[in-house]
Amino acid sequence: MNEFSRREGRQKGNPLKRLLAIRGMGQVISVTIGLVALCIVFQILSSNFFSPDNLGNLLRQIAPYLIIGIAQSFVLITGNIDLSIGSIMGMSSMMAATMMTKGVHPAWAILITFMSCVFVGVVNGQLVAACKLPPFIATLGTMTIARGIAQIVNNNHNTDTISIGIGKETTEAFKNFFYYGKIFTLGGHQESNGSVIGGFSIYSPVIIAIALWIVFNFMLSKTRTGRHIYATGSNMDAARLSGVNVTGTITAAYVVSAICSCIAGLIVCATTGMGAMDTGNSYELYAVAASVIGGVSTLGGQGILLGTVIGAAVWSVLQNGLQFAGAPVAIRNIVIGVIVVLSVLLDVVIRSGSRRKAKDMGASALLGWISRKSSEKAAP
Amino acid sequence: MDIIQKDSEILRLHDETHEDIVKMTGISKSFPGVLALDNVSFNLRKGEVLALLGENGAGKSTLMKVLSGIYPRDSGDIEISGLKQEDFTTGKAKELGIVIIHQELNMCSHLSAAENIFLGREIIKRGVVSQDEMNQKAFEILSMLNIDIDPETIVGDLAVSKQQMVEIAKALSANAKILIMDEPTSALTSKEIEDLFRIIIDLKSRGCGIVYISHRLEEISLIADRVTIMRDGKYIATMNYADTSLQEIISLMVGREITEKFPKISCPKGEKIFEVKHLNAGRMVRDVSFELYKGQILGIAGLMGAGRTETTRAVFGVDPKESGEIILEGKPVTIRKPYDAIRNGLVLVPEDRKKDGLCTKLTVRENIAMPSLDVISNFFGVVNRQKEKMIVEKSIKDLSIRLPHSEVEAMSLSGGNQQKVVVSKWLARNSRVVIFDEPTRGIDVAAKVEIYHLMNDLKRRGIGVVFVSSEMPEILGVSDRIIIMCDGRITGELMAFEATQSLILTYATMFESKLSRSDAS
Ligand SMILES: Nc1ncnc2c1ncn2[C@@H]1O[C@H](COP(=O)(O)OP(=O)(O)OP(=O)(O)O)[C@@H](O)[C@H]1O
Ligand SMILES: [Mg+2]
Repeated sequence: MNEFSRREGRQKGNPLKRLLAIRGMGQVISVTIGLVALCIVFQILSSNFFSPDNLGNLLRQIAPYLIIGIAQSFVLITGNIDLSIGSIMGMSSMMAATMMTKGVHPAWAILITFMSCVFVGVVNGQLVAACKLPPFIATLGTMTIARGIAQIVNNNHNTDTISIGIGKETTEAFKNFFYYGKIFTLGGHQESNGSVIGGFSIYSPVIIAIALWIVFNFMLSKTRTGRHIYATGSNMDAARLSGVNVTGTITAAYVVSAICSCIAGLIVCATTGMGAMDTGNSYELYAVAASVIGGVSTLGGQGILLGTVIGAAVWSVLQNGLQFAGAPVAIRNIVIGVIVVLSVLLDVVIRSGSRRKAKDMGASALLGWISRKSSEKAAP
Repeated sequence: MDIIQKDSEILRLHDETHEDIVKMTGISKSFPGVLALDNVSFNLRKGEVLALLGENGAGKSTLMKVLSGIYPRDSGDIEISGLKQEDFTTGKAKELGIVIIHQELNMCSHLSAAENIFLGREIIKRGVVSQDEMNQKAFEILSMLNIDIDPETIVGDLAVSKQQMVEIAKALSANAKILIMDEPTSALTSKEIEDLFRIIIDLKSRGCGIVYISHRLEEISLIADRVTIMRDGKYIATMNYADTSLQEIISLMVGREITEKFPKISCPKGEKIFEVKHLNAGRMVRDVSFELYKGQILGIAGLMGAGRTETTRAVFGVDPKESGEIILEGKPVTIRKPYDAIRNGLVLVPEDRKKDGLCTKLTVRENIAMPSLDVISNFFGVVNRQKEKMIVEKSIKDLSIRLPHSEVEAMSLSGGNQQKVVVSKWLARNSRVVIFDEPTRGIDVAAKVEIYHLMNDLKRRGIGVVFVSSEMPEILGVSDRIIIMCDGRITGELMAFEATQSLILTYATMFESKLSRSDAS
C-alpha cells in the first residue's frame, strides 16, 4: 500500500499481518468483503448486473461519489466537517453553465468557477480555523450562501442548454471531457454511424476521479501537509506545539474539499448539458456516508482514502444494484440506510469485539460529534 | 511528613490479619504483538497498602485494568473476598467495591467538578438530577481532602494537579473496598501528596485494601506495607517493605544494579546562549528574567502552580506574551507561535503528554517524526521515508522505548513509554535550546537516568538545556544552576553546590509564608 508496508512486509514475513497493521486497513478490508458480497447478491437478483455495459456505467456512477468522498474525507480527518460540498457543486454547475450559455469559452468559465469555489473553501477554512466557529455552523452558513449564489447567477432559473452560447461542437467537447468521453472500450458493437454501443467502457469521469484520487492520496499519505492533517485531527494542541500551522492545515483541507466539489459540479453540468439550481442537494451527506463506510472517523485523525474508494463504491453499487433489481425508490432508501449503519457497526464489532466503541466511529457518531463540537466551542 | 510516617508505622504493626481480599493467579493477557501479562500472580490483603512496582511497560497498569474489569483476561483466576469470579466486567468490579484511579486523567472536561465526581451515580430527586445536593456532597468530599475547589468549576479550567485531586475525590466518594491508584501523585504538589497520604492511612484503618503504583520510590517508603515487583509482564517478587531496601527493589525492577541515580558531568561554562528579559504573560508570569549559558543545565524549581509551565509556554509562543524580550545567541527573536520558536532552534518538551504532547491515535513513527517533518521532507513537501525511519529508529533506541514496532498507535504504549516518545520527538531535531517541562513524569528509575544522560549529552554539545521539575532530588542532582519560582515570579537563584532542599523550599514558598505572616499579625 505504501512504501513502508512493502518494505516491512518483505522483512517480517506475513504480509497480511503487515497490511492489517496499517492504520485503517482493517475496516477497508472488511468493507471490501462486504462490497464483493453485495455484488454477488445483485448478480443473483439480476443477471445483468455484471454485464460489461453496466459495469462501465457503474464505474461512471461511482466517480462523483468518490470525488466528493475525497472532499469530505480530507475535512473529516482534520476533525471537522464540510456541509457546503453539495452547495458548492450546485454553485459550480450553475456558474459554469450560465457563463457558457452567455458565450464564455468553457476554459474561462471553468477557471472562473474554479477560483470562486476555491474562495468558498478558503472562507470555510478561515471561519473554522481562524475565527474558531464550530465547523457545523460555519459550513452550514457557507452551504446556504453557496446555494444562494447558485440560484442568483441565472436569476433564479435553471439555465438553458449550454450549446446556445458556445455552439454544438464546443459543447460536445465539454460534455465529452467531463462525462461522455470514452477512454477505452472493450467489446460492444459498432453502429453504422461509427459509434460503439454496449461493451465495457471507461468513461472520462472515472479518469478524472482516479487522477484526483492519486493526487490527493499522495498529498495525504506522503507529504508534510498530509501528516499535518492527521496530526491536527488527532490532537490539535499537540500539533500546534509541534510547530504545525493548524489554521493553514485546516484551510488546506477545506480548499481540497472545495476543489473536488467544484469538479463534481462540473461533471453534473456536463451530464445534462445545462445548469440546475438544485445540483448536489444533500451530497455533503452522501460524502459523509462514503467516507465513514470506508473507515474515516468523524472524530478526526483516522481514515485512509483507499477506504473512501470502497465507501463510494458500496454507496453506488447499492443505488445501481437496487435499481437494476427493480426495487422502488422508497425501498431503495430504506435498504441503503440500513446497510450503511450495519456496515459500520459490523466493522466496529469485529474489530473491538464489543459494542462499546461503536459510538466513536459509526454514522451515529455524527450526532455525538455535533453536540461535542458545539459544546466545545461554546465552553470558552 | 514525619507525622505520617509514625502513623503508618503504628498501623503497620496493627495489620497482621493477613486476609486476602484479592487473589489473582496465573493471569495472562496479550495485545496484538505484545504479551503484556505472562502468568502473573497477585494478592492484596485487607487494610494494607501494596506498592506495585516495575519498569515502564512492565504490565502494572494492565494488571490493574484486568482487576477492575476493563480488560478481559486471556487466562487465570480472579478471587475477590474468597469468591471466584468468572465473567468479570467493570460493572461487576464496581459492585464489589473496586475503584481505580487511572494513570491518565479521565475527566469530562466540560462538566463541573461535582458532576464529574458523581458521574454515573448522579443523585436523583423526584426524577431529576439534584444539582444542589451533588454540589453539597462534592463540597464535603473535597473539603475532607483539603482541596480548595468550588464544586461548580468546570474541570477543564483547573490545573492538572487539581484535576487529579478531583479524580481522587471521585474515587473516594465511591466507598471503595479495594482502591487502585495508578501513579496518583505524578501531577500533585507536595502539600497535596501529604493530604493524599493522610487519606490513604485513614482508608487503611477502615479496612480498605489499596494498590499503589508509583515511580517515585521515596513515596513508597512512607506508605507501603508490602511491595510486589513486576518485570516484562512477569511476576518477580513480593516482600514486606520493612524487610527490603531501596537498592534491592530497584535491582529487582530493572534486573541489574543502577549505580548512579544522578549522573553529572561538568563542562566549562560557555557563552550566553539564551536570555529571557522581563517577560510578562498573564497572572502567572510576572517579570521573569533568566539567562542560560552553554555547558550548563538550568533548573527551574518551584511548587506546582508556581508559573513554571506558564513561563515555558509563553517563551515558546503557545500563550501570548504581554511584554518581554527573548534573545537567542545574542540576537533578539520574535516568537508569536510555536513554529517561530522551532524555526529559531528553540524547542519545548511539554508537560501534559495527553493534551499537548501526543497525537494518541497516530503511530509512534508519526509522532516522533512530526516536529522534524520540515527537515526530512523535500522542496515539494514529500516526506522521505528513509530519513524518517532513521530518525525514528534512533529515537527508539536512544531512549529504549519499549514497543512491538513503530507502527503501533501511541495510545497503546504504557504511560512511561508514551512520555519517552514525547521527549524523543524533540531530540531528533538539531536545536539550540531545549526546554524540558517535567520530562521524567511517570518514567521508571532506569529510564530517568537515560533522560539525564540525554540532557548531559546536549549540555556537552553546547546546546542550552532548561529543566523544569517539581522533584527536588532530581533538580538538585542534575542542574548546574537553579532558579526558583513562586507565584509567577522568580524568587531566587542558586548555584548547584550551594543549593539544598530546604533553601529551595524557602524561596518556593516565599510569598505564601509572607502572606500567612501578615495574616497572623
Ligand atoms: N491497549 C493496548 N494495546 C496494545 N498494547 C498495550 C495496550 N495497553 C498496554 N499495552 C502494552 O502492554 C505492555 C504493558 O503496559 P502497561 O501499561 O501495563 O505498563 P505499565 O507497567 O503500567 O508501565 P508504565 O509505568 O509506563 O505506566 C506495554 O508493552 C504496552 O505497550
Ligand atoms: Mg502504567
